[in-house]
Amino acid sequence: MIRVMLSALLLGGVVALAASCMGLRQINELAIVSAVGLELGEKPGTVRVSVQIIRPADARGQTGAPAGGTGEPVYSVRAEGKSIFDAIRNLGRFTSRRVYWSHNFVIVMQEKYARKGIKEMVDFFTRNHELRMDTWVAVTPDSPEELISTITGLEVVPGEAVDKLFYNNDVAGHALGSNMMNLEEAMLSGSAQPVLAKIQLQPRGISNKKPGARASINQVELAGAAAFRGDRMVGWLSPKETRGVMFFLEKLESGIEVVDCPNGGGVLTMEFKNARLRVVPSYRNGKPEFTLRLRADADMVESGCDGALGEIRDEARSKLEEELASSLRGALNKAQKTYRSDFLKLGDTFRNKYPSEWRTLRHRWNETLSEAETEVKVKVVIKSAVVKAERTNRP
Amino acid sequence: MSSLQDKLNERLEPKLQDTVAIIDGILGNSSDLHRREFNLCGHPDYPGIVWFLEGMADTSIIDSILMALMVSARELNVEPAELANSEELRTRMMVNASVKNCETIGDGIAAILAGDSLVVIQGVDRAVIVCAKGIKERSVEEPSSENNVRGPRDGFNENMRTNTASVRRRIKDPLLRFEALTIGTRSRTDVNIAYIRDLAKEELVEEVRKRLERIQIDAILESGYIEELIEDSPYSPFNTVQSTERPDKVASSLLEGRVAIFIDNTPVVLVVPTFFWQFIQAPDDYYNNYWVGSFFRIVRYIAFLISLLLPSVYVMIVSFHQEMIPTSLALTIASGREIVPFPVLLEALIMELAFELMREAGLRMPKPIGQAVSIVGSLIIGQAAVQAGLVSPFMVIVVAITGIASFAIPSYSSSLALRICRFPLLLASGLFGLLGFAVVFFVLLLHALSIRSFGEPYLAPASPYRPWDQRDMLLRVPFWMMDRRPEFAMDGRRMGDRQKPNTPKEEQK
Repeated sequence: MIRVMLSALLLGGVVALAASCMGLRQINELAIVSAVGLELGEKPGTVRVSVQIIRPADARGQTGAPAGGTGEPVYSVRAEGKSIFDAIRNLGRFTSRRVYWSHNFVIVMQEKYARKGIKEMVDFFTRNHELRMDTWVAVTPDSPEELISTITGLEVVPGEAVDKLFYNNDVAGHALGSNMMNLEEAMLSGSAQPVLAKIQLQPRGISNKKPGARASINQVELAGAAAFRGDRMVGWLSPKETRGVMFFLEKLESGIEVVDCPNGGGVLTMEFKNARLRVVPSYRNGKPEFTLRLRADADMVESGCDGALGEIRDEARSKLEEELASSLRGALNKAQKTYRSDFLKLGDTFRNKYPSEWRTLRHRWNETLSEAETEVKVKVVIKSAVVKAERTNRP
Repeated sequence: MSSLQDKLNERLEPKLQDTVAIIDGILGNSSDLHRREFNLCGHPDYPGIVWFLEGMADTSIIDSILMALMVSARELNVEPAELANSEELRTRMMVNASVKNCETIGDGIAAILAGDSLVVIQGVDRAVIVCAKGIKERSVEEPSSENNVRGPRDGFNENMRTNTASVRRRIKDPLLRFEALTIGTRSRTDVNIAYIRDLAKEELVEEVRKRLERIQIDAILESGYIEELIEDSPYSPFNTVQSTERPDKVASSLLEGRVAIFIDNTPVVLVVPTFFWQFIQAPDDYYNNYWVGSFFRIVRYIAFLISLLLPSVYVMIVSFHQEMIPTSLALTIASGREIVPFPVLLEALIMELAFELMREAGLRMPKPIGQAVSIVGSLIIGQAAVQAGLVSPFMVIVVAITGIASFAIPSYSSSLALRICRFPLLLASGLFGLLGFAVVFFVLLLHALSIRSFGEPYLAPASPYRPWDQRDMLLRVPFWMMDRRPEFAMDGRRMGDRQKPNTPKEEQK
């Protein structure tokens, strides 16, 4: 027994010494990346990677011993290389810590980069085990470098602010929450095409020191979507069309629409809830057809209209229906006609119902889809005017 | 040695001088040995001697012996010749509660050394042993290592008879048995095996008896000696013998069909067989409402997990698996560690060591100084070390929570075992990450699964799974549902049918 224990001890010791803490890295020896930007490099055939690295001591203030600095919470740097990984390795020439990707929030691509094709980017970001599939992916018309180094939002770390922005994207309902998982799914799918969120810089922030300069500080905002065909970006979608897309892809349930008053004058704001879109495919004469049925409940949330609720109710309802239908039609129109790209996943619903027909159509699906008949039916029920029946008036 | 043994086996001589010579030869002239000469009925032809040890024997009892043999005998006009038979002496003259005849020198010596008195009279065929034990004992106090809020406050003390009595007081069952043994060639410590005859398995009692009889040692100073000599797995860090200072705990164990081992001169009683989960259960669980009992039991299970795993999990995640930490927490940890010069593993080891130091120092110091130690220690560890940048505030929190959790485990001895198991886990997870942690954790688990305590698997009733016994493991179900004894007991049922109380229905008219 003694001998067994001694040999176990010896073996354990040898293993411990020989392994020498393989894979050990302390958390404070990592450069934690919170956002990454991709664009084309200056030289043709190169790619430029810009990363936003968190400086924990400044991002968290003093939690323990005085750790110095009252500097910026992030450190943003860029490097170029022949491939994404090459560029990341080149980052190592000037970042003092090992770049660590697991806490990355967002990947931003420049429009030109996206238009050239994103195959390599999807491959790299899904191959590496350190990268997460729930990282947000977006396209920007601006410089990603500038975008990721902009201090934005209420969070200390700008990347985290963008993360929260995406997380609550359904509040405004103007941009998709597209992450790596959706992107890869669409890339690998035989029918659907990718669609990514669009983010851009807008001077929205007001300086507290110089309020006179008005909103002069750039902020990151969600502003629509970018449609892809294959791995190449083909064009933008406006925020309104994006809302239409969100009914298809994200089961958007609620949002607001502003419509003109039925009897003229002001505007009426309505909030729709419990929206549910049903896509019903059918197959006639060798051509697919789609019926889109959207049902929603609605409340009046802000009214500038004259007249009692009962009078304007029906008209308000049909206006809201028309508004919702037009955003659906806008999305359909972009997918069918403008970009000829099935980013609405209509092909998936068709395949599920007509698997054998799908086999004959799948090879030229984008073209088939552009000729498909579509019908949009929207039905809204106005449930309440909240607490007031009429507009607020002075008698 | 053998000559001493021979002498001890000799029969007592009827002649007083011979007996005196032999006993004095064996016991020598110890200063605490007293020899009181007297004459039976005051008759000079019948000299006698009472031996007793001062301090061990109660002198008032010796007084009463002398009173009976010298004064009362003469007042009753008894002829000394009538008392030549020790049986006559015992039945007619002695007024003491416990008096027995003594045949050999050895019995007599043993009685003297145990605090009784040996009475030898010229012309009486045998000697007489009068029970005169009068050693000063500590009063019955609340056990300091096992506290509870509700429940009896009495604890065991150093006198075994008091201890067995306080168990007997709780179980007035005619089948409650105390079997006596003496262990230790020099200490001759009294040991009692307690069990309830129709509840404890015959084989279990036999096994306990066999293991105790096997012991050959010069002295037993504490129950720990016996515990280590009867354990099933002597190399294991886990206790397979439960020790307690609470009579109510022993009584409930006996009622579950276990066997208790009482040892003289220590307030600690051993209980076998023992299961791992018992160390997490406390008497309060049963004395309080069952909701409360179950809740605090779950809290204690959590405390057990924390005290075993928390430092290792923290070290493992922070130095190997940073992707498992939520981002904002990762940033907070990273900022706290920004200027700490040590790797997390070393930091953890330093802090654990500091904690153990404080605990040990607080325990060993005289009580008033012990408090000062803990104040200084906590100030240094909690504040100054963080301010100096030697450790991160997170590590202080982790070590403090671990320490508190380990104090929440009711059994002090098993919390020590857990504390020892923590270090290999910590080293492995600091050196190899999740892999090392998993390997060592499974080694510990498999070891705990493999050991037994007096024939019962250590992790029962979890493994092997015993469905009926689950009612008193993770949860403490109400008493009206706990209608069975544990599976290893002989008599399964412990209560009648339909014991669940309910409001009486209104009577039908």
